[in-house]
This record gives sequence, structure tokens and C-alpha cells, in this order.
Amino acid sequence: MSSTSTTPPAVAVEAHGLTLRYGRRSAAALDDCSFRLPTGRVSALVGPNGAGKSTLLATAAGLLRPTSGTLTVLGTAPAEARERIAYLSQDKPLHPQLTVAETLRMGAELNPARWDAAHAAAIVEQGSLDPKARVRGLSGGQRTRVALALALGKRPELLLLDEPMADLDPLARHELLGTLMADAAEHGTTVLMSSHIVAELADACDHLLLLGGGRIRLGGGIDDLLHAHSVVTGRGTPADLAPHTVVESRVTGRGLTALIRRDGPVGAGWETSEPSLEELLLAHLRSPSAPALLTPGTTATPAGVTA
Amino acid sequence: MSAPSLRRPSGLTWTVLRLHRVALIAGGAALLAVAATLVWMYAIGADARAAIGPCGSPGTGLPSCSALRAIGTDETYGAGIDSVGTVLSYLMFPVAAWAGGALIGREMESGTAQLAWSQSVTPVRWLAAKLALPAVLLTAGTTTAVLLIVWARQDDNPDLVGAWYDPDVFVSTGPVAVAHVLAGLALGALAGLVTRKALPAVGASLAAVLVLHTVLEQVRTGLWPADTVTGRAALRLPVSSLDLEHGVVTATGGRIGGDLTCVGSDSAADIQDCMRHSGLKDFWATYHPESHFWPLQLVESGIVLAVAGLATAGAFRLLRRRTP
Repeated sequence: MSSTSTTPPAVAVEAHGLTLRYGRRSAAALDDCSFRLPTGRVSALVGPNGAGKSTLLATAAGLLRPTSGTLTVLGTAPAEARERIAYLSQDKPLHPQLTVAETLRMGAELNPARWDAAHAAAIVEQGSLDPKARVRGLSGGQRTRVALALALGKRPELLLLDEPMADLDPLARHELLGTLMADAAEHGTTVLMSSHIVAELADACDHLLLLGGGRIRLGGGIDDLLHAHSVVTGRGTPADLAPHTVVESRVTGRGLTALIRRDGPVGAGWETSEPSLEELLLAHLRSPSAPALLTPGTTATPAGVTA
Repeated sequence: MSAPSLRRPSGLTWTVLRLHRVALIAGGAALLAVAATLVWMYAIGADARAAIGPCGSPGTGLPSCSALRAIGTDETYGAGIDSVGTVLSYLMFPVAAWAGGALIGREMESGTAQLAWSQSVTPVRWLAAKLALPAVLLTAGTTTAVLLIVWARQDDNPDLVGAWYDPDVFVSTGPVAVAHVLAGLALGALAGLVTRKALPAVGASLAAVLVLHTVLEQVRTGLWPADTVTGRAALRLPVSSLDLEHGVVTATGGRIGGDLTCVGSDSAADIQDCMRHSGLKDFWATYHPESHFWPLQLVESGIVLAVAGLATAGAFRLLRRRTP
């Protein structure tokens, strides 16, 4: 397995044994979760419903207090980095009684040190939104655009997006995702974005964090992760595939098809191909008991908080 | 960068004022209505006093009784002062409901609170602004209304505007009014943070304020030691006193409350006769003279402000525990 970069990059988000429970008796939403997200990556946060994606994003945004463990964002505690983080929650809350212009004015008033009014206004204008329109009367897509303008107007170093495009039609989704990615690329913004839409992720992201049961099951550069896995087809049983890790296998007309995590070259008699991102994700989502894999760049440093 | 400016509010101040513009306008309109009513009441105060003054049949040189009664200025005046007093003494209810529902609860429910916290504003600063601005405005508005009502009551004639110890009058004519409103604000905010939902917060705020309001009405007269007198003075308390309890003292020294034996006797000799026959030694009464108005006001204000302070501290504590 190869690491994505040769020099150790700066760290945008690093978690050590991060645990968060809502209430004393409830199950942990994040359970001893450890990982590292280098700066400059556009990372997809995926996982089944209830895996802890929203909790992780809100915790990184400094909105929730972890029950135990540490979370470092941009080299400091999330609450200290508030100015440099933008967070877009799943339901995109905005004040319905404000106009679009007033919403952006609020962004300016509440981010006095960083606000880029022209940039925020440009994002709104791209959607041909009337600045005098009240947020109450906007469609879902228009609201998302305003919320995104509020987030990007802050010129964040880390952008945390929770299901940003869920309620958009394909065209608006494509448009807004384009805006977002162009902006992130231009400014080197680190993006951590949760989504269910694999196509959206494959286009936009170069890094993957798969959450399951409150922990990272799979983490690293998407290319690295795809390289580390193979889809193999051949005659035999899953046991024949040792020493490779079989993530998922099923019997098909041509014998056995399995998604494996390679350990050395695959033996003769097996037809191999590189999985697509969708195949990789589905195999891991269907097999929650598969061992976790984090590439070196995504593994939390054992030393703990370095900042 | 967001240095507070007197001319143009900025930062959180602008945000809070803009978000609660409807409440600001409603509050301003209510204050204007109260002020207009009280100015009007002040203007008709002299006529109202004449209306309950001496009168006679035509030709006696006094104003005609029937004419005075027909105008009814005293009733208008009394009702005007009364209604403003009632509004002021129950103001903590709408304030608490607003603070719980619109100020905090709705923002927690819809996630707009988190929207503010994911700008460059810490939750603690957010709550501080959310509480401080309404507190300043409510204090200024309520103080204005109290000063106006005291001014419009003029000589405090209890026949016209109610006695100083009537619950509505007591609350609306002193600093207690401001303390009540601030307690409503703080309890509402706490309820909003506890429930994190607008409607339950309104319910919880109203319940909390109802308990406070009811308890205060029950214990109010006990917040300052009452005076006790015996002898003939007990039968003739000073004008405008609040008679708490009175009765007779028996020969053995025991006190019987509410016993009016012998009080109806005609002359002093009759009274003494009656007392001798009934085995009574003396009369007694406990009461608050009007001079207790200020001590009672200050003690109650202190207690209610302490409640407000505790609720505020609780709200901040809860917020700090939940958010980093």
C-alpha cells in the first residue's frame, strides 16, 4: 500500500479515541473513533444511516462536546478554530424572516475578521436569486445556495458539509458542487463532506472516510484504497483466497466473485480487476465486520495531540 | 472590529435586533400605548378627583351630584390606571413565553442557534447577547412605564386607583415590576435551553412564571416584619395601612384573631363594659403601614432578581456543558 504523499502534510482534523454519547444511557454515536485528515483533501464521509456522520461533523464544527477522547481541528480545539471552520448542517437552518441580503449581512456581522462579501454575493448571484427575497419563500435548492454562500463567504480553511446536496435536483446539484469544488481547489480548502450519492463523491472527492458503528472502517486516498483492493473471480472458496482479506464474496454463475484486500500477488486462476468506488463502498457497507483499513496518512499519530 | 457603535448597531447586536424585530416593534408599540393611556389618565386626573369630591343638589353651591355621576370621569380614570397596572404586573408572562419560544427555543429547535455558533461566535457570547439586549430594553421600557404610572396616579387616592398593597398596584408602582420582567426573561431563556423546542419552552416558561407569580402573591406581606399595635389604636389603624390580622386579647393573655366582639359598641364606656363581660383585656392588630412600601419592594425585588440570576447562571451552565 502506498501513501498518497511523500512529505507528511499538515493535519486538518485528527481524532483520538473520540467518543460521543447523547445522554448517559444511549449507545455511543461515535465510539473510540481515531483518524487523521490531512489538509487540502476533499474527503467523502460515508456510512449507513446512524453511523455517526452528522455527529462527527457537528463535533468537528465545535457544536458538540465529546464524551471522551480528543478531536483536533486545524491544530487546535474545534471551539478555538470556530472562525476558520464553516459548517453546513443537514437541514440547512436559516432564519426564515430574513431576506437573502440580510442573511449575508448576518454573515458579515458575525464573521467580522474574515467575511468576503463579494464572494458570498457572487455565489448567490450565480443562482439568480433576488437579494430582497425572503428565505421563507425560497426553494430547497435556493436555500442550500444561500447556506453555502454563508459558509463560503467566511473563507474557511476547513469546510464541513453534512449531506449538502441531498434535496437538490441533479442540475442544481451539479452546479453547486461545481461552485464548491472550484472554490475549494482555488483556496486549498480542506473539505469533509458526508453523502449517500456515490456519483457525487466519485467526481468531487479524492479522499474517503467510511464510518460504521461509530468508527472509521476505511480511510485514505480514494486511489490508494481502490489500489489496495481487487475484485477477483474464479473457481474456489473464500478460504482459497488466503492470505488476502476477503471483504465480501458471493457465488455467481462463473464461480466465486469476491472483493479482497490484497496481501501480495493474487494467485493464478483468479481473474482480477480494480473495483469501482461504488463496488468498494457497497462491499464494505454490506460487510460491517470486515477489518478496518486506514492508510498511513489517515491513521492518527500515536503520540496524540501534537498541536 | 465589531466595536459597539451608538449610531449603527453591528455584530451580534445587529443580528439580535434584526432577528427579533417583530418583538421589538410590538414592545415599542405596547410602551407607546401605555404611555399614551397614562398621559391621558394624568390629564383627566383632576376631573376624576372632582367627581368623587363633595357634591350637592342644584343650588347648594357644590357641583351637581347627578351631573358628576353622569360624566363618570372617575371610573374612566380608575379603569385606565387599573388596566395599565394589570398589564405591568402580568408582563412577566408574555416576556417569559417570548424568551422561551422565540428568543431561544425556536433557535434551538430549528438549528439557527448552531448556525450562529458556526460563525465566529461562541455559544456563550451568543447567549450573552440574546439575554443582555432584551434585558436592557425591557428594563428601560418597564422603568418608563412604572415612572409614568406613578406620575399618573398623582396623590395615590385609593378610592380612585386602588391601595398601594393591592397586588397589581404593588407590582406596577415600584422596582418590583422590573425585577419580575427580568425574571420572566431569564426563566424563559432557561426553559428554551432545557427543552430545546419552541412550544414546550413556552409551556415550561409559563409554568415557571406562574409558580413564581403565585408564590410571591402568597408570601409578599411576610417579606418585611409587620407592625403590631394593641389598645384603641388597633381599632383605628393609620390611613392606607394593610390590615393583616386583628382580634382581641383575652384576660389570660391569649390572642384570638378575627374576633370582633365589642367592636360594634357605641361609646368608650360601652366597649369597656362589653370587654369586662366577655373576659377580654385588649384589642390588637398586625399591619403594614404605607411606609413599608419601600422595604417590601426592595426585599421582593432582591428575591426576584436572585431568581433571575440563578436562572441565568443555570442557562449558561447548561450551554457550557453541552457545547465546547
